[in-house]
Amino acid sequence: MRSSNSGVIFNVQRFSVHDGPGIRTTVFMKGCPLRCLWCSNPESQDFSPVLMARDILCQGCGACVKACPQGAITLSRKEGRKIDRQKCDNCFQCVSACLYQSLTVCGEPMSVDEVMDEVLQDRLFYKNSGGGVTVSGGEALMQSRFVLALLEQCKKENLHTALDTSGYGKWQNMKALLPFVDLLLFDLKHLDPDEHQRTTGVDNKIILENLKKSAKYTSVWLRIPLIADFNDSNAHIKKIACLGKALGVEKISFLPYHEGGITKNRQLGKNACLLKMKAPDDKHILTLKGIVEKNGLNVSVGN
Amino acid sequence: MQTASGLREKVISKAVRNIKRGYTDDDSQRGMYREEIRLDLQRSRLMTESFKQTDGQAMVIRRAKALANLLDKMDIFIREHERIVGYQTSDPNGIFHPIDQNWRSVLRLVNSEAGKTLLDEEGRKELDELCAYWKGKSMSDRHQESLPEDLKRYWTYEGTFLWTQLSELGIPDYDNLFKTGLKGRIEQVRARLEEIDRTIPVDYVDQKEFLEAVIIALEAVIRFARRYASLAEAMAAQEDQPDRKAELEEVARICARVPERPPETFAEAVQFFFFIHLIRYVEYSTLGVGIRIDRLFGPFYEKDLREGRITKAEALDILQLLWIKLNELGLVYSPTVSSVYGGVASLQAVTIGGTDEAGRDVTNDLTYLVLEAARRLQLIEPSIVLRLHDGTPDELYEKAVDVIKTGIGYPSLFNDEALIPLFTRWGVPDEDVKNYAVTGCVYIEIPGKNVMRRSVGYFVLPKCLWWALHQGVDPKTGEQRGARTSDPSTFESWRDVLDAYVEQVRFFATKMEQLERINLELYEKFCPRPFYSAVVQGCIEKGKDARKWVYPSMLHHFTQVIGGTNVADAITAIRKVVFDDKKLSLPQLIRIMDNNWAGHDDIRQACLNAPKFGNDDDYADQVAREVHRLGEAAMETVKDRFGFSHRGDGSAVSATYGLAVDTPATPDGRLDGEPFADSTLAPSPGKDKKGPTAVLNSCAKIKAVETYNHLLNQKFLPKFLEDDLKPTFIGYLKTWKELNVPHIQFNIVDREKLVAAQTYPEKYADMIVRVAGFSAYFVDLSRGLQDHIIARTEQRLM
Ligand code: SF4
Ligand code: SF4
Repeated sequence: MRSSNSGVIFNVQRFSVHDGPGIRTTVFMKGCPLRCLWCSNPESQDFSPVLMARDILCQGCGACVKACPQGAITLSRKEGRKIDRQKCDNCFQCVSACLYQSLTVCGEPMSVDEVMDEVLQDRLFYKNSGGGVTVSGGEALMQSRFVLALLEQCKKENLHTALDTSGYGKWQNMKALLPFVDLLLFDLKHLDPDEHQRTTGVDNKIILENLKKSAKYTSVWLRIPLIADFNDSNAHIKKIACLGKALGVEKISFLPYHEGGITKNRQLGKNACLLKMKAPDDKHILTLKGIVEKNGLNVSVGN
Repeated sequence: MQTASGLREKVISKAVRNIKRGYTDDDSQRGMYREEIRLDLQRSRLMTESFKQTDGQAMVIRRAKALANLLDKMDIFIREHERIVGYQTSDPNGIFHPIDQNWRSVLRLVNSEAGKTLLDEEGRKELDELCAYWKGKSMSDRHQESLPEDLKRYWTYEGTFLWTQLSELGIPDYDNLFKTGLKGRIEQVRARLEEIDRTIPVDYVDQKEFLEAVIIALEAVIRFARRYASLAEAMAAQEDQPDRKAELEEVARICARVPERPPETFAEAVQFFFFIHLIRYVEYSTLGVGIRIDRLFGPFYEKDLREGRITKAEALDILQLLWIKLNELGLVYSPTVSSVYGGVASLQAVTIGGTDEAGRDVTNDLTYLVLEAARRLQLIEPSIVLRLHDGTPDELYEKAVDVIKTGIGYPSLFNDEALIPLFTRWGVPDEDVKNYAVTGCVYIEIPGKNVMRRSVGYFVLPKCLWWALHQGVDPKTGEQRGARTSDPSTFESWRDVLDAYVEQVRFFATKMEQLERINLELYEKFCPRPFYSAVVQGCIEKGKDARKWVYPSMLHHFTQVIGGTNVADAITAIRKVVFDDKKLSLPQLIRIMDNNWAGHDDIRQACLNAPKFGNDDDYADQVAREVHRLGEAAMETVKDRFGFSHRGDGSAVSATYGLAVDTPATPDGRLDGEPFADSTLAPSPGKDKKGPTAVLNSCAKIKAVETYNHLLNQKFLPKFLEDDLKPTFIGYLKTWKELNVPHIQFNIVDREKLVAAQTYPEKYADMIVRVAGFSAYFVDLSRGLQDHIIARTEQRLM
């Protein structure tokens, strides 16, 4: 039976090799309750589809200006094509008018079957590389009904499944998903509640509780977005390693910060974050790896 | 033991530095050859000398005597590091040109800016005299003179196909030669001579002349090896250094034995092979190697190991020394052909892995040693072809990935599961098919058989589509050059476009075959190959030169098709923009396109934004499948002089860049002269938006068995082959195999490095890239080809 259940998705990324083992297809769900300062996918934060404008592709042809019913777009020699986000009501008529892919919509409703059609095309790659499907976001728990249907379908097809989550969501929702999740990619930003609140906009209490509970149900990789002078102190990483060891997680992954989010913020017409962030240097990352390993846990960088 | 880097310094690179047509001025300043390189006239001189003396005799005898004159008199030398000996010219810095094939292009070359350093005044004078003899007698002259007027029009390259003379492969029957030695071969010839003396067959004279020529040639080869034996002995006597003295004595011993008698040791087998390989080049300059090196030499190596005659390190030394020898067998191409190859590559490849005739995996210790030699030396030639099948051991995948990771562009991978059914369809008998080998690029042959595979030329498929959109008439000149296909204004669907295209393919394939038919008949008459005939199966038994018959199958002649992806994308764009979206009519689109899209960028963008091959989207992939399938079927309706079907082939090297210059804008949104997509399976650069898994899925839809053998180039970052990701890459390879995609090869390099190499060539002089079917030094390529390689989609890691 074809399911009518639909979710808002901003990307189905094939050939993902950094979101779990092997070659995977990662389904990025739109909408996130957190507002991490380092977010690398800011286009995923809002639940609804958003207009993305890539200036370097703009040819200045003016078609979008004519197409916009709100008069939100202007074209000038000095500033090029500009979008007044206040006026824009996301009708996306400009997107169809632009021939140069300078304007695109991020996020579209897709049914489980539509997602599965794409996912199943790479079945052989999953089989031969030990890969599968990863549901990521945004925060996948925000659309947990859809995600449940999707994961269920993946398991019916015998695919390896991973769920990449911030852990911020109702335990019931999470628990319902876990029977269909082979691997939980659990993001852990900071163990300190205040630091967590300051940089992500939410408290980490629920997150830590969900982590402790879920680790009983399935394999977990703890993923740490590594940011210099924020969460990369030896002591902090040691604490995380101890927690991971106590919970019996399979490994810890370091994901060093990258600047991808800044460009995307610009494309969304948002202000880039004010804090200047950077990744720890390679030497320090090696030290941190050593700390985790000393605590008897596997560790990897980038996946 | 010699170190790899020490050996690498010995290599004399003759690299062509530049290409003539279509590139920037800046390139022409770079010069074509390294300064020390000289055109060596010995082959031309000694062959001509002999030819002048043998006027009036049978051609097969004349060719044998000319070869013998050369082998008896050419200057020989042994370089200070060498233990495998033999050289094609009288000086390590020499290159030769087959004057008997074509003297015009060599004259053009030495008189051009690029080639002016190749000869001094005296040399030029001698070359003029030699050319005067070959005027009207070279194969190229004879061909041109024999062509009827109308066909002459097609002989001249105009953009649709480039008929080429210089390409003829073939893999000698080393298995049997190693059993009999040339002496045993000569005895077989004598027996055959006695037999025909008794039976007097209807072609008695022909047979007798041929068999006598074979004896002349083979005896000359034995004498040639003995000359090396004497030289080594003399050098050993002079040598004070005891190690080197011993080496030279060993060279003397080996050359006194092989190729006259069967080899008994690994070193003897390698030297035996190299003499035969070298003389095959010198007799008539062909390309390729083609041996299944692990299968051929593995038993000798293992026996030596068992009997304590050799260590692994010593075997590795010998392999590396052989690699250097193969590297030095460069040819001189005409400027046009150079532009196609982008270098002096001789397209030599050796094959490893795969199965024996019964389907058993042949991997042995030498398989790994060959990969190790390649990894250490990192030379552009010989390229290694690895045959993968269901029974390939995982360990071999691992080792292969370690070599691919270095970025040298090989081993390139061939998929037995996809190719064997194709060769079966081509008529290769079951008992031979599993023994296939790759001679160079993606040229496939059966070792030891009289295949002499030839590429008839490059076939520019997008130009065929262009003719189809113009009813075969050049709009500029009004000349009816292609077939008179239907008026595009009457087309009702993309299938009508396809039909007209296929008709043009058939038309031009026929022209090519007509040119080729005359050419091969002339070759039979004027360029028999007594030496080559003696070293493949069947000629001596039949008493017939290799040119008079062929191994019965379709393995032989083909045209290298170029730009299939552009044709598919163009027809898909027409399907979308004209027939589905009805944005404009086909004649309107053609008018806009003929104007190179001027003033109609909206239409061009619509065409560019139409679905493209390589995204696992059936809308485009279905068209691509039909373009390849029906194009091949059309080519196969054309038969060669032995009655075998003509066919396409995916080995179109970098011609995708060089030959695109002469194709005007096409409906895929391509601009006038813009390069085509790489090879036969690669998506257009930057148009494969869904990543490498989608690319392979799209490629899998174009079934090898209903088309031809293909070439697929993929570019990855080195990271993907390292550490944690190595097993994932192997998983990708295994899927490639399971999808039945026939071929794949890799450029493993950071984009930044390529860009940096353009700015600081001296720092990156050793950086190797995969161009198409072969590897080349990046800095030796023309700027245009460099840009093209940089533009290839780099498969990013998500
Ligand atoms: S999305 Fe609609 S309102 Fe917004 S800029 Fe585009 S056309 Fe104007
Ligand atoms: S339609 Fe696209 S290319 Fe044209 S001005 Fe607008 S954004 Fe730029």
